[in-house]
Amino acid sequence: MHRENIVSVRVSLSTYNMDAVRYAAHASSGAAHVLIKPAGPGAVAVEFRPTGTVPGKKIAAAFRSELADEKLRASIHDANRELRDFMILKALSKEAAPPPARQDDSGLTPEQEKELDALIAQVESEIKRESTAGATGDPLGITRTWEDKYGAKKSRKKN
Amino acid sequence: MAQKKAAKKTSTPAAVPPQLFWKREGSDFLVTNDFGHFSWLKKKDFDALLACRVGEKHPLFEELSAKGFVRDRLDFDGLAAKWRKKNSYLNTGPGLHILVLTLRCNHKCLYCQAAAGGAAARDTDMAPATARACVDFAFKSSNPGITIEFQGGEPLLNWGALTAAVKHARARAKAAGKELNLALVSNFSLMTEEKARFLMENEVSVCTSLDGPADLHNKNRVFSGGNSYAATQKWIKYFQKKNEGQANGYRIFKPSALLTVSRYSLSRHKEIIDEYVKAGLEDIFIRPLAPIGYARNLWDSIGYGADEFAEFYLKSLDYILKLNRSGVVIREKMATMMLDKIINSSDPGYLDARCPCGAAIGQIAYNYNGDLYTCDEGRMVGWEGDEVFKVGNVFKDTYKTVMASGPARACVVSSNLEAQPDCARCVYKPYCGVCPVYNYEVQGSLWGNMSSNDRCGLFKGILGALFARLKNPGNAATLRKWVEK
Repeated sequence: MHRENIVSVRVSLSTYNMDAVRYAAHASSGAAHVLIKPAGPGAVAVEFRPTGTVPGKKIAAAFRSELADEKLRASIHDANRELRDFMILKALSKEAAPPPARQDDSGLTPEQEKELDALIAQVESEIKRESTAGATGDPLGITRTWEDKYGAKKSRKKN
Repeated sequence: MAQKKAAKKTSTPAAVPPQLFWKREGSDFLVTNDFGHFSWLKKKDFDALLACRVGEKHPLFEELSAKGFVRDRLDFDGLAAKWRKKNSYLNTGPGLHILVLTLRCNHKCLYCQAAAGGAAARDTDMAPATARACVDFAFKSSNPGITIEFQGGEPLLNWGALTAAVKHARARAKAAGKELNLALVSNFSLMTEEKARFLMENEVSVCTSLDGPADLHNKNRVFSGGNSYAATQKWIKYFQKKNEGQANGYRIFKPSALLTVSRYSLSRHKEIIDEYVKAGLEDIFIRPLAPIGYARNLWDSIGYGADEFAEFYLKSLDYILKLNRSGVVIREKMATMMLDKIINSSDPGYLDARCPCGAAIGQIAYNYNGDLYTCDEGRMVGWEGDEVFKVGNVFKDTYKTVMASGPARACVVSSNLEAQPDCARCVYKPYCGVCPVYNYEVQGSLWGNMSSNDRCGLFKGILGALFARLKNPGNAATLRKWVEK
């Protein structure tokens, strides 16, 4: 490894948090060994040691671009966490949804907030039940056989 | 009203779009979301979307709001239903049950991933009683429709087990009222009229391997007992003719074929596709080699990089589209399955590209001795002496034990894209999937490292090519026809 091909990028943690740095660094790990180390108060240095033919400077440029994208992704993810949980829980619960109405800044109506709380409580209760049961818990019925699930439906039988 | 609201929102620093994934391609942006919707945007429109400036007067408002990209206009019921449909496999047990009737094979294919043994090694034949036990186990699956696929080695070398399994499965299906599909994957070299009749009468679909023109096919698929290409062609034509004529009392399926791309195939995409068209096949499944089993040992001579396969695949896809424009009916199977996800938000049952992957919860591989594996690739790893993907034995373990086994759980966890740092951010996440067996074999862990993973590169190449072609109205219309329902 030529020392001159190693590139280091200083990142201020007041601009980007450590999660964003880690994810952006991971995205570059196919082309380089990446080392994240402290670089004074409130900053880290991300060092790239290329493992292939892609030059260190190019990898560093891709990292900077990824870092900016990651910051945006994180802000979108954080702002949508409740909304996303609500949608997925709704999809999994199979229950009918109330019609969408006026939305506040969280993206949910008061009725939908209530529904989300109920869905979260339901899931938390299932998780609690599962963890109490240990490794044998199976709230989704993944380990249940056809007979366990549908044994009573003898009418399905064909001649 | 809603437009005012959108305008108001853009003025607040907290305004954000709903959850979405994106990728820059030149001056355009591809955006996707968890519901499987996508859109190509110019930079100004992408910026407007991020800044929540897509109001009612915006030219893309209707499209983007219908697809769940406008936060103020989310159709909760519709989008949740879309997500549920797209991930419907989460509520069913394994649908695909692969019975390895024997490890014996009369071919010695260069790339054999099935870890086949010689034709004389009868100790690797599945006993008829084991075959029936495997069928019984398959019927325990909570999936309302199951497919039992007979594989090998060459499954026709163990005709006794095959007929026992077919008859038993048909009887079980009748009793249980379950939908049952039976499929045979064979090189056809041992096919006879009598065997063909039994298969047709029991509605067993047949699939073979066709690697291209005779010289290429026979180079890849070495058959010391004769001409592999000739046998394949003869029986493809036979089953096609029977399919066209049909029969009273049972359905006769169209035969299908699989293409395995070796290094020798890379320069011959047109000839290979023409061969499929000539054989009357309407689908070609362009499958890359995986460095698993026997192929791993020969990788330096027959293998290739993801970029080389991607180039071959793209040239093939464009040639197929060109043929389509001239009226020839032919589709590429992997593209068809991906398009079904992209365009119809459906689950095409492609176990290699779903989240979590199909290991154990979507498919089970039954070895000749009744040992159970997460998938056929996992069985191949077992044959090499590493039983990391073994989930049980059909005589010793219950369905519940198998589904809750360590390897099954490990595969589910490691193929959850939400837990893969690269995949969780990838624009192709709504359509893609990782393979723990591939990761384990190639990168040494079930999780792998997607940033240097050739399979990931390959899927990105294929999905990228499909989305690029969907930008072109002419190609898009053709591709949409492939998955019209």
